[in-house]
Amino acid sequence: MFSFFKNLQRNYSLSKLKNENFKFLFEPNTSDEYVVFDTETTGLNPKEDDILSIGAVKIKNNKILTSETFEVFIKNTQKISSKSIEIHQIRPCDLENAKEMQEAIESFLYFIGSRPLVGYYLEFDVSMINKYLIPMLGIKLPNKMIEVSELYYDKEIAFIPQGNIDLRFDTILKKYNLPNMGAHNSVNDAVMTGMIFLKLTQGK
Amino acid sequence: MSILDQRKLIASIHPFELLSSNTLDNLMQKIDIAYYPKETLLISKNLPSIAFYIVIKGSVAEFIDAELHNVYSSGDSFDADALIYNKSQSRFVVDEDLICYEIKKNDFLDLMQNKEVQSYFLQDFITRHQHLKNYHAQSELTPFLISKVSDMFLHKACIVDKNETIYNAVVKMKELKTSVVIVKKESGNFVVTDTDLRDKVVLGNMQTSAPIDTIASSRMISIESHDFLFNALLLMTQNAIKRLIVMEDNQILGVLEQLDLLSYFANHSYLVAVQIDKAKNIEDLKNIQSDFKNLILTLSSKGVKVRYITKMVATLNTKIYKKVFDMCVDKTLQNQCVLVVMGSEGREEQTLKTDQDNALIIKDGVDVSLFYEPMMQLNRSLLEIGFPVCSGQVMVSNPFWRKEVKEYKLLIDDWVTTLNEQNLQNLSISLDAKYVAGDKSLLEELSTYLYQSFHNRDDVLAHIAKGVLSFETPLSLFSSFVLEKSHDNKLDLKKGGIFALVHGVRTLSLQYAIRETNTINRIKELNNKGVIDKNFATELIESFDTLSTIRLHAMLESKNSDNYINPKNLQKIEMDLLKDSFKVINKFKKFMSFHFHLEMVR
Repeated sequence: MFSFFKNLQRNYSLSKLKNENFKFLFEPNTSDEYVVFDTETTGLNPKEDDILSIGAVKIKNNKILTSETFEVFIKNTQKISSKSIEIHQIRPCDLENAKEMQEAIESFLYFIGSRPLVGYYLEFDVSMINKYLIPMLGIKLPNKMIEVSELYYDKEIAFIPQGNIDLRFDTILKKYNLPNMGAHNSVNDAVMTGMIFLKLTQGK
Repeated sequence: MSILDQRKLIASIHPFELLSSNTLDNLMQKIDIAYYPKETLLISKNLPSIAFYIVIKGSVAEFIDAELHNVYSSGDSFDADALIYNKSQSRFVVDEDLICYEIKKNDFLDLMQNKEVQSYFLQDFITRHQHLKNYHAQSELTPFLISKVSDMFLHKACIVDKNETIYNAVVKMKELKTSVVIVKKESGNFVVTDTDLRDKVVLGNMQTSAPIDTIASSRMISIESHDFLFNALLLMTQNAIKRLIVMEDNQILGVLEQLDLLSYFANHSYLVAVQIDKAKNIEDLKNIQSDFKNLILTLSSKGVKVRYITKMVATLNTKIYKKVFDMCVDKTLQNQCVLVVMGSEGREEQTLKTDQDNALIIKDGVDVSLFYEPMMQLNRSLLEIGFPVCSGQVMVSNPFWRKEVKEYKLLIDDWVTTLNEQNLQNLSISLDAKYVAGDKSLLEELSTYLYQSFHNRDDVLAHIAKGVLSFETPLSLFSSFVLEKSHDNKLDLKKGGIFALVHGVRTLSLQYAIRETNTINRIKELNNKGVIDKNFATELIESFDTLSTIRLHAMLESKNSDNYINPKNLQKIEMDLLKDSFKVINKFKKFMSFHFHLEMVR
């Protein structure tokens, strides 16, 4: 029943696609790979804020393919608030070699293909992408989504059914004894999220 | 940028820092991060290695046969040999969930085109060891720039009033054993040297009852005690003078001589030796002891090998012992006995103070009771100077270690026939006996008797050698899961390695009648006699040096002299050296087992 709706939704979505070149997003994923991705933005409100950079890395079996990373900086009209600079450390001057939004999103789509997307609070990153994708192609990201904080929650709640599960990113890293790679940027965050994902799916 | 962060991490791992920026960039595009849960088998005889692994988090254990051979943790990498030779004798098993970088086999082999990387991975143990050690030495700070005037030995200042007669001034000068007189005037401090006395008084025909003021012509320049030594050197050079007055809180602290300053950098030990010679009582010697630690610190930070430091400390300690012996034992009795030091001091391997391990051998027929009072005094004096008492009572104050030659011979006879725990300990400690003062021939007579008694007694020797296997090599302590088992999360260097090496080498020396007491010299002699080959001998010496060095550094840092270190506090390079050394210790234990057929000895 559920997959029926999913199919229906996908077919509906496909019918809205404005550009035939991106039909591959709807093809079945045959690569047995995943893509972890993260965005850095000017703020936390998808309606008002803009994407500064997108970072992504592929995962295959038990490996994070750092040899195939994706990183793009995006030209922006909005002023970058000094508060967000503190977090992602992208200064206006770092964006000099940045790409136009359209080009950046397109190259991102070519990178992910129809692979399932993995992320931490993925909903936010996806809605940031969708904000540009809808006017561009008439669709939202059709890929399967995997939320690591959800995987983490499911695993932990089994141990403490009534407990409060602390879902903060740093807490999860600490809990699983994963290295914190320091500086917040989209690729680093994607790699760390990838480690959590592997730990949750590959660990015993 | 993340790629940059990872690049930094890779570049911080030796030998990857040797790669050019370009090569490193290329490499970064080929590295993946992999995750392996606990107990995953990475490499084995039947499972060829597919990649070069650099551990980010977690640990991997390497087993040869069933024996734990090495543990790799954060920052470690493995295993070049498995990739180069396409096979491995070891099994690499994930010990704690592993996150690691993987350089795929072909990419790694490409990297090996780089000559320096290649030579690093292809070098055998010894050269790699020295390579790492040199690398370590480079990172030490040169002490010349940071030494202060207060680090120096200062001569006492002989200060007299300007109205004092020349005669009285010289008397005071002789009393204080100084080479100059400082004359206080309103306009500052002036100096009178031996040259002044010769030229102006003796040759100038001046009366010694004249005031000293008349011959004090040159003004002395002063320096604050907290100033840097190179400033002192500059002052002397600029003003063409040979000495400075050292001031502290507006008081004259002492005199800094150019000779001492120069030799400080060339040979700081010279000063300590001078002080020991000059010492007139126990109090003087006590002050000298406090200089020892500074001396060791200076030498160690200069990168002097620990075996030379310990040798020097042993020489200086012997000097102190001699001096104390002279003070305590009547001249007529000095030739009737011989004072020996044993244990680590006898091996010339003690650094910071270790226990008094000493004994007195008395000539046959001499009244033993004559030595009671002098030896008690010697024991007390040494304690006062700062040699702690031996917990096992191996000291001249104990009548067991203060007797005639013939009594000692009876003891040796007993050792050959009954080797209980106590006898074994006494034998071990006696084997390291080294002459300090008195009649040397008495010690030689006993040594000859000792070696003859054990000649061809391989059965007894095997029992002695068994001690080598009494403690496990703590190689497994590096992985986190065994930490709780260990003592306060620490590792005992002595039990874990030094003891096995020292004791094994000592036993072999007894078997081959090698009279050396120093472990490194014994190893060299064993090599000369063909017992062990050159390569193995060098490995043993390097390992011994590494263990001693790490122990010394730990002692200097922790300010106490136990043998425990926390491996987590070690630098990466020290950690590698330590692991390599423990591997050699294991090899040595196997050698000993085979040599003495220890598996058959119960």
